[in-house]
Amino acid sequence: MDYKIEDVETAFTGEITENLGNNEYVIKINDNEYQIKLLTLDSKGIEFILDQKYHKVKYLDNTTNQMNLVIDNVPITLNMHSKFDEIVYKNSGGAVAGNEQLALKSQIPGKVVSIAVTEGDSVKQGDVVCTLESMKMQVAVKSHKDGSIKSIKIKQGGSVAKGDIIAEIE
Amino acid sequence: MIEKVLIANRGEIALRVIRTCKRLGIKTVAVYSDEDYNSLHVKKATEAYHIGEAAPVKSYLNQEKILDVMLSSGADAVHPGYGFLSENDDFARLCEKNKINFIGPSADSMNLCGDKMRCKDAMLKAKVPTVPGSPGLVKDVEEALSIANNISYPVLLKSVYGGGGRGIRLVTNDKELREGFETVTSESISAVGKSAIIVEKFLEKTRHIEYQMARDKHGNAVHLFERECSIQRRNQKLIEQTPSPVVDQKTRDKIGELVVKASEAVDYTNLGTAEFLRSDDGEFYFIEINARLQVEHPISELVSGLDFVKLQLDIANGEPLPFKQKDLKMNGYAIECRINAEDTFLDFAPSTGPVPDVTIPSGPSVRCDTYLYPGCTVSPFYDSLMAKLCTWGQTFEESRTRMLNALNDFYIQGVETSIPLYKTILNTKQYKNGELSTDFLKRFNIIEKLKEDLKEEKTEKSESAVAAAVIYSEYFKSRIQNSTQNNSTWKNKLD
Repeated sequence: MDYKIEDVETAFTGEITENLGNNEYVIKINDNEYQIKLLTLDSKGIEFILDQKYHKVKYLDNTTNQMNLVIDNVPITLNMHSKFDEIVYKNSGGAVAGNEQLALKSQIPGKVVSIAVTEGDSVKQGDVVCTLESMKMQVAVKSHKDGSIKSIKIKQGGSVAKGDIIAEIE
Repeated sequence: MIEKVLIANRGEIALRVIRTCKRLGIKTVAVYSDEDYNSLHVKKATEAYHIGEAAPVKSYLNQEKILDVMLSSGADAVHPGYGFLSENDDFARLCEKNKINFIGPSADSMNLCGDKMRCKDAMLKAKVPTVPGSPGLVKDVEEALSIANNISYPVLLKSVYGGGGRGIRLVTNDKELREGFETVTSESISAVGKSAIIVEKFLEKTRHIEYQMARDKHGNAVHLFERECSIQRRNQKLIEQTPSPVVDQKTRDKIGELVVKASEAVDYTNLGTAEFLRSDDGEFYFIEINARLQVEHPISELVSGLDFVKLQLDIANGEPLPFKQKDLKMNGYAIECRINAEDTFLDFAPSTGPVPDVTIPSGPSVRCDTYLYPGCTVSPFYDSLMAKLCTWGQTFEESRTRMLNALNDFYIQGVETSIPLYKTILNTKQYKNGELSTDFLKRFNIIEKLKEDLKEEKTEKSESAVAAAVIYSEYFKSRIQNSTQNNSTWKNKLD
């Protein structure tokens, strides 16, 4: 999972790599591995020891991509994407074999950062068609099938809504 | 003897009064509006009466309704707290007429304190220095010019009907004064239909220093030292401390004597506050008397060891002050931070709503006066003061570091608070060095510093925040089982 914290430059990745039992886990954050011990845990909050330091967290409102929490009285907003590109790709029809769908649709609202193809280009399934920016994160939109770009329906710098057609691919 | 006190107020100050009354075996009567059914003062008082709708005019400012409750509940005294009816001399008079002991000055004295021109006049007669300027209204621009040249520029032209920055002009020479005189006149006429202008010396880099005063019904008066309240926003105090870093014992005694004179000049009784501006050259100028118990009274309690509400009750009972000035000694240092529900970055706009969780700080020499409890609500109808956090120390540094600890421990969920701002202020070298002035926030770019501090704080917490987010999502994918309930050994260690 990738994380971006509001007002913090660095981006983070984080995952549990090992279950040590007795509520202890190994967690990998960027390139560092830490031991984490959970003390209490429910949907409202968590207390844990990370690298020998105690932390108390309250989970506030959360959406799929954004999480607001208060850690040790400090409010933090995290933007997350769990293999976000893949989900977008999948929802565009990319995972379905033999897809006859013409239109590549955007699964997220966002701003068009760049367009990687021009009309008439041939693309393979999974090739990047354009890059969108949403919630301060850049997401690549990939072709859902092999084919050629019949038309491009977006403009660089423009914005797209969820469900808008990005390109038609034959 | 007072046996039953009605508290014509709400919030933390109502609780403050109830606390002392309870200790002394005095019954308390709380009043509350629609908005305050679930407020702590309602629950803690001996009796509680509903007095009307949420809007203050329909409840806490409704004199007739409050009088009804006083009479029907059998209260023999009323404590007005601060704000609301506390400085309303009509209300004080209404209580006097109905033989209810108003815990505060007489209606006449209050009326005199509230009339800035008459009060200034009384001070001049008592030889208490006031801000140099016209003795009263100036009749025309020529008189304003002659006064301005007499007291020297820069001066302020003020409409007595102005306020909130309107009808006030800073001028630095004759030409500006002529122009300013016209603008202030027309602004005042367009706002209230009449104009009355006074001229006042403009003081730069001023500090707000006030003195606690106490005077009994037999004419004995003392001062209970000073408080410095220079850290302000929009002319409202944020942080107060005592003693002031610029008041030594000699100055304390000298100004203290003036304060006693000031209380005599307006025949003040009970506790009150004389407010002064101190200019950068060390001169003190009287501005006004606050005829009530101040918000920031706890810091004076901490350094004097006195219970001010008890003192108020004793004075109201006609008892003489139990001490003379020479008996009073200051002990240590105290700071108060007013924890407001407001968004510093939205120009201190109020932030209201439910507060699902609260952690109130504690520890040695930490005092927190608050109406907050987990599950309470911060109402949009009343002022933004949620809590008064005070710390005491043998040295200033001790009180400051205790305050920083307490601010770190204070957690209020659901509303924006001024806590981060105070952490930034208390960490500046200017605050540590006592370089205070009423324009402190602007002068030292505090809001910019606050932004940097918040960013740093977030960066520091980012790895653990990511860990918390990872756990959260794993938990919801049920990859982590919640078996922490059994994990009591660790829990107990941390509790």
